[in-house]
Amino acid sequence: MDDPAKFLLRRLVRRIPAQMLKATLEKWGRLNAEQRESLNFSQSKWALTQELEALCEESRLTVKHIAELEMIYITENPNQMMWHAFQLLDPEDGALAVELMQFKELFKCHLRELVRNVSVKIKKHTDEAVWIRMSWGEGFSRLSHLNATYVVHYLQTPYVFVSGLSPKNKPLLLQVLTLSTKHERIKDANLSGRKLTAIRDLLLRQYEHVFPTKYPSPLTERNQSVSNLHTEKEQAEASAKRHQMAGQAFGNGVLPALQSAVYKLETKFKDPTNQTMTEQDEPFRCVVKFSSTNLLESLRHCASSGIASTPVAPLLSSIPLKGRNYFVITDKSPSANS
Amino acid sequence: MSLLAPFNKLPTLNTASILLVESEEQFQQSLAVALVEEMTVTVNVRLARSLPLPLENDESRPRIDLVVFIINLTSDLSFRSAKASLKYLDPGYFLGKVCFMATNARHASVHTGLLDAVRQLAVSLHCPLLFAEDQTPEDVKSSARRLLTILKVASGLVPNTSALFLSNLTRCTMPLDIDQPSFD
Repeated sequence: MDDPAKFLLRRLVRRIPAQMLKATLEKWGRLNAEQRESLNFSQSKWALTQELEALCEESRLTVKHIAELEMIYITENPNQMMWHAFQLLDPEDGALAVELMQFKELFKCHLRELVRNVSVKIKKHTDEAVWIRMSWGEGFSRLSHLNATYVVHYLQTPYVFVSGLSPKNKPLLLQVLTLSTKHERIKDANLSGRKLTAIRDLLLRQYEHVFPTKYPSPLTERNQSVSNLHTEKEQAEASAKRHQMAGQAFGNGVLPALQSAVYKLETKFKDPTNQTMTEQDEPFRCVVKFSSTNLLESLRHCASSGIASTPVAPLLSSIPLKGRNYFVITDKSPSANS
Repeated sequence: MSLLAPFNKLPTLNTASILLVESEEQFQQSLAVALVEEMTVTVNVRLARSLPLPLENDESRPRIDLVVFIINLTSDLSFRSAKASLKYLDPGYFLGKVCFMATNARHASVHTGLLDAVRQLAVSLHCPLLFAEDQTPEDVKSSARRLLTILKVASGLVPNTSALFLSNLTRCTMPLDIDQPSFD
């Protein structure tokens, strides 16, 4: 096993938590059963790495196989890396009919046209997602498998999620993706986060929606938290209305666990009591960042408990509505900027 | 006018009605459950987030004997909301039929300015200030018991005692060492 392979293996073993290592190695399937039995998982990671290296030497595994292992681990645990979403626009005629084999061929073909020194591995995951792992090489030097780019695309949807892409390779990858999915343009969806499952659910709108109704539900048993004849809520109607509006803006039930939202303000300072600041001609630059373990859940609670006024402000409700969490606000109107 | 008045309705036999006002709507739910368990008296509990109360419920609402403002000491908003609700109460309530209850006094993030402000408010209105905890069921039960003592007096169910009389004994006072001119 050469040095890059050893290095990659060491880094991978450090990264994978001990409990998952056994299952991941099993799924990988490159080591046979008796080799796996011989590994002692209770020893320190360093000793375990040495044993693994020895076994891989035995089976003559190369860096490509180790890359496979990394891909299996990342596919099972995508919530540790920073993902950025992109949206494909202007589909051509055959865009909706692109299925897996065709996508694979087109991708590899277009990639070869644009870049020479890159290694690609495409895999279809159980939940209809296509996972692509790419290792880039600098010019004519050898491929470096260490900082691989991962791309997740759900076929027939216009969304792509990318992690680990350097700015140098970004235009290349985006062009290849556009061509292989038969669209004309691709743009930054202004949505990024650590949890792939959360940003995917948000963008594909896979959470329970509440639709506006003129007549609320006749079943009043749903919100009975004080169910006693002698206890009564005075402002139950107002409270139910707030709940309904909060649900309309953010959704019901379990919401995707988005963890941050960033608002970049470039508006003029407006405060009648502070003359010196208001006199400045340039816009007052300010960045507001909301972060939480589940941001949408907390915003919904703010709206339904009355802390945030209802109907929900468009700046907040556009997070789930437009599926974005990065906003640039200028004086004329809230606008997008990549 | 949407003022809540203390004596504009007739009382019912062996009944006491209490209004719990809390901007967070958390503690009042568990307090309501604990208060209703009282056997000797029928307790009617009304929950609100702030005053004024909606006019639609005016017909069905019983005569409120005690209004309790629950203020969470870790939240400035709950104090401001309680203060804003005070002006919707008829002045007749302040003769012993209003009580302040402060929660989370032991919390690390309590701002001392807020505690002093709540105390000042209770002192200026001659009302009792109770400190309660809402973490465990036992805490909730003991808070409910203290409220019931005051409620029974305020609704006239304790002979020879009236709300005004009790409030003279239980009202909040500022500690003497603050803001006092020295008498040398």
